[in-house]
Amino acid sequence: MRDIETEKLKSIVGEKNVQDDPADLYVYGSDASVHESPASVVVKPKTIEEIQQIMCYANDELIPVIPRGSASSTSGHTVPIDGGIVMDLKLMNRILEIRPEDIYCKVEPGVIDDDLNRALKPHGFFWPPAPASSRIATIGGEIGANASGMRSVKYGATRDSVLGMKVILANGDLITLGSNTRVATAGYPIERIIVGSEGTLGIVVEATLKIVPLPKLRCMGIAKFNKVEDAGKAVTDVISSGASPSMLELMDNIGITAVNKNLNLGLPDVAAIILFEADGMIKESVDYEMEKIKNICEKDKGFNIEMSYDAKERTRIYTGRKKLFASLSRYKEGIICTDLADDMAVPNSKIAETAHEIHKIAERNNVIMSVYGHCGSGVLHTKIMFDVTNKKKWDDASKAASELYDYVHSVGGTTSGEHGIALSKAPFWKKEKADSLNVMRSIKKALDPNNILNPHKLQDAPDNWLTATRLRYRVR
Amino acid sequence: METKYLKEWENELNICIRCAYCFEGCPIFKQLGWEADGARGKLVLSYGLLSGELKPSKYIADKIFQCSFCQDCMERCSANVRVIDILTAARADLVNAGFKYDAHLELLDKIKRTGNIFGEEIEPPIQDGETPVLLGCRLLERKDDSIRYLEILKKLGIKPKVVDETCCGMPFGVLGYKEDLKKQQEKFRKRLPYKEFICMCTTCMFFIMKNYPDLKPKYVIEEIAERLPHYNTKKLGLKATYHDPCNLARGMGMVNEPREILKQIGVELVELPTHGKQAECCGGGGGLLTTDNPLAKKLSEKRVNQALDLGVDTLTTLCPTCEFNLGDVAKKNGGKLKVINLLDLVYEAIC
Repeated sequence: MRDIETEKLKSIVGEKNVQDDPADLYVYGSDASVHESPASVVVKPKTIEEIQQIMCYANDELIPVIPRGSASSTSGHTVPIDGGIVMDLKLMNRILEIRPEDIYCKVEPGVIDDDLNRALKPHGFFWPPAPASSRIATIGGEIGANASGMRSVKYGATRDSVLGMKVILANGDLITLGSNTRVATAGYPIERIIVGSEGTLGIVVEATLKIVPLPKLRCMGIAKFNKVEDAGKAVTDVISSGASPSMLELMDNIGITAVNKNLNLGLPDVAAIILFEADGMIKESVDYEMEKIKNICEKDKGFNIEMSYDAKERTRIYTGRKKLFASLSRYKEGIICTDLADDMAVPNSKIAETAHEIHKIAERNNVIMSVYGHCGSGVLHTKIMFDVTNKKKWDDASKAASELYDYVHSVGGTTSGEHGIALSKAPFWKKEKADSLNVMRSIKKALDPNNILNPHKLQDAPDNWLTATRLRYRVR
Repeated sequence: METKYLKEWENELNICIRCAYCFEGCPIFKQLGWEADGARGKLVLSYGLLSGELKPSKYIADKIFQCSFCQDCMERCSANVRVIDILTAARADLVNAGFKYDAHLELLDKIKRTGNIFGEEIEPPIQDGETPVLLGCRLLERKDDSIRYLEILKKLGIKPKVVDETCCGMPFGVLGYKEDLKKQQEKFRKRLPYKEFICMCTTCMFFIMKNYPDLKPKYVIEEIAERLPHYNTKKLGLKATYHDPCNLARGMGMVNEPREILKQIGVELVELPTHGKQAECCGGGGGLLTTDNPLAKKLSEKRVNQALDLGVDTLTTLCPTCEFNLGDVAKKNGGKLKVINLLDLVYEAIC
């Protein structure tokens, strides 16, 4: 990498949209992961043309460029491992078009998920991926990570709802991908590769998103279980029954305790709960789904099942679920919640045994791991909780992560179902995808021959996540 | 840099998962737009100072001090990270490392000399009643208003006892002068030697709750809310909006009490677009008025414009600093919006 000419960048985006003070570079060197590595410079472009100019300059000078939204990424996606230009896209936050009649909208990458949904609501539509971080997650970030959340069980992940996009390639070329239509057949669906590519293939500057009519009714239920395995079995049975929940979440006692302690939510103190929701336009259809799920839960030893259409109650429970990740740091004094081994997905029939295995692996390695997640989609969140200031505990956490991924792969699961790979999960993912890594590298090479776009992530990430960057904690 | 105070908060800094939920409502981040302007960024900077990965600088000090301590970040934080305590510690360490602002020193010198933030010899409205009352610097300086507010208490059956009080020390605390704070706290205790008293100022009240754990002050609005329903009040027939002071709504959780009082005295409340615990800050807290006055005024201007957009001509609030900051901007913007303390409305209704 050659020296970065800050003045050159200022001439493109304006002086006030460039920062190179060490303090800013430090701040822009971290996200919600365990990693940190300072940026060389931070720029905030406002237009496609500005981004094109930046990319041309960076490509000529072989300078890494790391696109960044709100940086709620959990595995180091936006951490500039080699320094370089961090491109903060939050100023590109316009909703360009909402076309209910065509069932799509067009947005810039810096639009916040919740803001988009607020804008869509009067039209009777919503944007469905719904990650827990929707209050700050940008659409660009959701595309980068192929994010999803509580509603993925019915509406899928981001990739399922992106129809097309405008992308600026590493050389500054602007290309248009996909279509405005609900189906399109010809050619390679490159837009689908861009989704989930974690900023390694291009800068998404406009996205065409498929929107969904807002259901008139939503009903939520809670089922309690005395064993996490029973709850896991119920999830499996609900999905394989053909039921169509709009949410199917599992939370174990560690998660329940953490949110109750931190948010005083008063969730039942049992081994596990399942939160389920059905939505629709007609009460009869919602009731049908809810009854069906309730009966399955009861068959699988669920008890005290409560169901409610009350929006306030639903919001209260959603809040607890959405804040679970952070609440885990309050589970036990001196124990910190780290974003490691956090979002594997397993085949539907493997939920119960994976939940059981997670607790066993945690116990064996002297760390704490919660089991929760959008299990209806097969996603199991864990997080590894330990004393992050103790060097030995990092070895324990590393071993736990390794054992967990070996197990997940052995049952046909995948390394990440929701948050992406970046740095922390790369060694395990590379093991899972060993025979396709070269194809991925070929794609990367074709689109970014100089390897300037978010380099050394995914297939090109270091083999040891622990030493890939400095850790964000003071380890002794 | 020695991090005498920050090191006590290392675990809390680790608890922050850096999820960025605190961006959502941060008024400083919304105004300035760089991540170092939001709570997560400021905590990362604090961590950098603690770990030694960052060398202290004027630039970092500016970022740490450019915060109105509005607690919006804490309201939104999933892990309940004590952002304000951490930033207060960072400020104290930066001050000890020599990052001092002339405007801060000038303000603190005024308190040291005269016992109030105005640096003037102010004669308090001494009253020899039964229930001790703390006015706080801002109301002390508004003697006529204070006397009227004390009349409210009398009307409600309280016999106020007003002494020759001195500043509770809040500016020393929030601006990072911990040693000076201790000295001022001793003076405060000597002048107001009571465990229980009524506090007339929102900011003093919140500061005392946090920094004098043995004292049991009661905020004036609690007292009024309890007693007012037993009295006949005039109905003012006024339409107004209400600005929730950060320390009252988020700090003390008092959102309903002022609204109930407004209802009882016949004020039709038109809510601002953000209100209650989600209310935007006017920019008057955290020492921002002294550290970066233009920034504080920008936040205030935004709030004033929000009120004007509602089509009301009166904005009421409780915190004297919010009242000052919003009133100042409203006046400069042509005076279309009248900013008035809610206690003035109560006075009008019952006295």
